[in-house]
Amino acid sequence: MAKARARTAARKVKDKWRAKNWYQILAPTLFDNAPVSETLSDKPDNLIGRVTEVSLQDITNDFRKAHIKLFFKIENIQDGNANTQFNGHTLTSDYLRRMIRRRKSRVDGVYDVETRDGAYLRVKPFAITEKRIQNSQKKLIRGVMKETITKEGKTKTLNEFLIDTLDGKIGSEIYKNCKKFYPVKRVEIYKTEIKRSPSIVVEEKKPPKEKEVEEPKETEKKEKKEVKKIEEKKEKPKKEPKVKEEKKTKKPAAKKEDKPKKKPVVKKEKSIKKPAKKKEDKSQKELKPAKKKEKTTSKKQKNEIK
Amino acid sequence: MGRTGIAHIYASFNNIIITITDLTGAETITRCSGGMVTKSAKDEGSPYVAMKVAQTAAEAAMEKGFDRVNVKIRGKGGKKGGSPGRGAQTAIRSLVRAGLRIGNIEDVTPRPHDGTKVKGGKRGRRI
Repeated sequence: MAKARARTAARKVKDKWRAKNWYQILAPTLFDNAPVSETLSDKPDNLIGRVTEVSLQDITNDFRKAHIKLFFKIENIQDGNANTQFNGHTLTSDYLRRMIRRRKSRVDGVYDVETRDGAYLRVKPFAITEKRIQNSQKKLIRGVMKETITKEGKTKTLNEFLIDTLDGKIGSEIYKNCKKFYPVKRVEIYKTEIKRSPSIVVEEKKPPKEKEVEEPKETEKKEKKEVKKIEEKKEKPKKEPKVKEEKKTKKPAAKKEDKPKKKPVVKKEKSIKKPAKKKEDKSQKELKPAKKKEKTTSKKQKNEIK
Repeated sequence: MGRTGIAHIYASFNNIIITITDLTGAETITRCSGGMVTKSAKDEGSPYVAMKVAQTAAEAAMEKGFDRVNVKIRGKGGKKGGSPGRGAQTAIRSLVRAGLRIGNIEDVTPRPHDGTKVKGGKRGRRI
């Protein structure tokens, strides 16, 4: 009896194996939908929600990125292909452990970021210093991390943000900003988790939002510039002879004339899609080179003054 | 072209369990453990048994069309556990011997970031 049972069990297992179909898993659009791996199941519905792990080396053929692991989650299935979405990334544990040594400090933080297209991310950066540092210094570094990451998140869409994290650009940005407070040996983002995928509705609303946000910024900048120029005027005439004074007074005046032209130029870049504004832009383009010349001359003159 | 899978190797001091799955880890392809190869309990964690276990697992996987495997190796883990046990090294070696190609090897032992106090008192266990 025992033998017979065993045989039937074996048969059942084999049948199960044959009943299952193979599905190819495609990478998300961020990685050009490249085929990444395969799974099998008897029902296609069972596939949804599975997570595959792929190293960046497999996708990009760059051996320097073998320590980055990406996670893709299956969203839907079309003709035997499983489409995925990016679900997060980590660094391999041995790569992390290699960097953490004795008599060095490790500073890490956990920050939630909302990107421009409405995705919600959890980002975990960490920094390693040359020596052990005080807690107050760690706090400063953490503050810098938070600032830079939130700033990057606001200005970028999910895909842009991810590309920058995987390239290490955001890490290097934090590294630069940290230098002021304490020299950091290395900064890397060791983990991201995607909590909410980007909503398309927000993407459509983007262009009007940009205008609203950026126009006030421009006015602020102008005001600042004006203030600076006024300061220059005040300072320089005191130091230098009368002949040169005349030149300087001319320059800032010229710059002021340019300012109104700058506004539309900035708009141009953002409103490339809209054909209506292009005509205005052409006239402004013609003005651009003239501006540059003025600037360069002004620099030279300044040098002479010094 | 063969398919790739993941070989989860759990090598504790008293046993070894190898589970080969597909790349999502959701579907098991084969599984083999120390007790399936030997009868004596004391041998289950030994390197020789680990070799046998890995061979049987590898053969079964290759029968189903797998020729490449990523290895995830783990020890006991937790507050007591340390690195993977005796059988871990030999298991990987015999996977290669059996004809599977190996992609990357990773240690996935669950380690506590902090935890409860380890038993044995301040001066450790005294025998």
